[in-house]
Amino acid sequence: MTNSDIQNASGASQEAVIKVENVSRWFGNVVSVSDVSFEIKPGITGLLGPNGAGKTTLLRMITGLADVSDGKVTVFGESVRNNSALYSRIGVMSEHETVYQFMKGRDFVKMMGELRGVKDLDNAVDKAINLVDLSDAAYRPMGTYSRGMRQRMRLAATLVHEPDILLLDEPLNGADPRQRVHFQNLLLSYASQGKTVVLSSHILEEVEQLADTVLLIVNGKLAASGDFHAIRAALDDRPYHVRVISDSPRDLASELVKLETVDAVNVDPEGAIVVLSRNVRDLQIELPRLAKSAGVRVRRVEPLDDSLESVFGYLVEG
Amino acid sequence: MGSVYKLTFRQLSGRWRLIITLLLTALPVVMGVTWRLIEGDRFPDADFQDIALNGMLSGAIIPLVALAIASAAFSNEIEDRTLANLTLSPIPRWKIVLPKLLGAMTVSGAFLVTSAFITSFIAFSGDMEAVMAITAGAAVAVALYSSLFLWAGLMTTRAIGYGLLYVFLWEGMFAGLVSGVRFLSIRHYSLTVMHRLDERIFTGGEHLSNGVVIGASVGVFVIFLALSIRRLRRMDVP
Repeated sequence: MTNSDIQNASGASQEAVIKVENVSRWFGNVVSVSDVSFEIKPGITGLLGPNGAGKTTLLRMITGLADVSDGKVTVFGESVRNNSALYSRIGVMSEHETVYQFMKGRDFVKMMGELRGVKDLDNAVDKAINLVDLSDAAYRPMGTYSRGMRQRMRLAATLVHEPDILLLDEPLNGADPRQRVHFQNLLLSYASQGKTVVLSSHILEEVEQLADTVLLIVNGKLAASGDFHAIRAALDDRPYHVRVISDSPRDLASELVKLETVDAVNVDPEGAIVVLSRNVRDLQIELPRLAKSAGVRVRRVEPLDDSLESVFGYLVEG
Repeated sequence: MGSVYKLTFRQLSGRWRLIITLLLTALPVVMGVTWRLIEGDRFPDADFQDIALNGMLSGAIIPLVALAIASAAFSNEIEDRTLANLTLSPIPRWKIVLPKLLGAMTVSGAFLVTSAFITSFIAFSGDMEAVMAITAGAAVAVALYSSLFLWAGLMTTRAIGYGLLYVFLWEGMFAGLVSGVRFLSIRHYSLTVMHRLDERIFTGGEHLSNGVVIGASVGVFVIFLALSIRRLRRMDVP
């Protein structure tokens, strides 16, 4: 199930629930967010950008934790700053993993439920803890939790009042692969109820698996926004360096150079092939086939310019 | 508000904080016991009142313990970035600040007021007029210092440093040397409360009138409580 399926299936209102209008934020002479405008509708939206791009500042302004230097943020048509009543409809999980070390997980979720005026509190707490699959550890102090467990219990506390909007800042930090899958299914299920999930991440693939709508933030500015797949296609078409280690580099190089989407093939001093491709998907498909036909054994394939900064640099320049 | 109060109480009741507080607040009790052992049934003289009650308890231990505890009520949450758990809840800011203040007052008050009570009970041989006067004065000081230092903990990460300067320079030095400063001294409000409730203790003309003390005490408590609420509304919560 993808986000677009969710939106179509749920028939959820497509009215924007979050509006960010010409928002800027500066700290002294440093501009953290510059004149950013966008709207977020129900479903899962990914806030994507390299570390230090301004994602967290933007999320903090949306949640009302930080004030804007200029511009306006509204949630459900209301300013969120100093509008505490609105928090009964918003759930926020910040990137900071600190918890009350002395407090048992269940007590933490219960306290957050109490603060948010949850009725039938015990059931709500059990439900939230079950959702994150931490019932077994619910009565342990959070100081004894692993990083992933802390994140999950914090998520349970964020979900306990079943908010209409979930704002999650780098929520998959510290999660192992199994927890990631669980977490992703949970968010997809949540969004399928017509709710809004905003997920911030600096990992492209993480957002790809969850969000169809993406807001790309680079250097405090909105570099691109919209359908994830169109953005991903743009990424796939950019020139791309890939390093291939094999037992017969020259044989493999002579095969690779025949590919139409390969612009250059070099063998580096360590005997590995460096391929410059214009279509990385095509290379992914063709490389195993060519290696097999040439009788070459491929030991390792690694992207050379897959850092998010280089991806965003390409997008911004493009 | 109960959740925030319980949370604050638990946060401020760390083992080491309590041990140090216990040791500090035991000092006046030890002096009281010493006086009684040496002087027998003699009513404590001006020297004992100046050293043990005015100097040690009112001048140092009460403000220092209140500083350590009240400033930590918010500053610890700001430092470890858990304050957002409270501010992202649908409750007005005063419902965060007030239970934080009450939590801080409970923890520090439990030690300080008890210390004042036991010290005076021992030193004044169970004279309840003196005991109640000293205990009430200590309670007033705990409330006012807590309100002030709670606000300081929200305003700066260096609340302890500024608080120490305030305690030793303003309250300890200037308020003792410059009579006008006593109108702005929590310590002197507290001493005046003690004197008004039992005029045998802290005698002298330096104390303030009832109206000034009541008005100033209520004013200090309310003003710093209001400033803390205002600060929490306006600040960027980490």
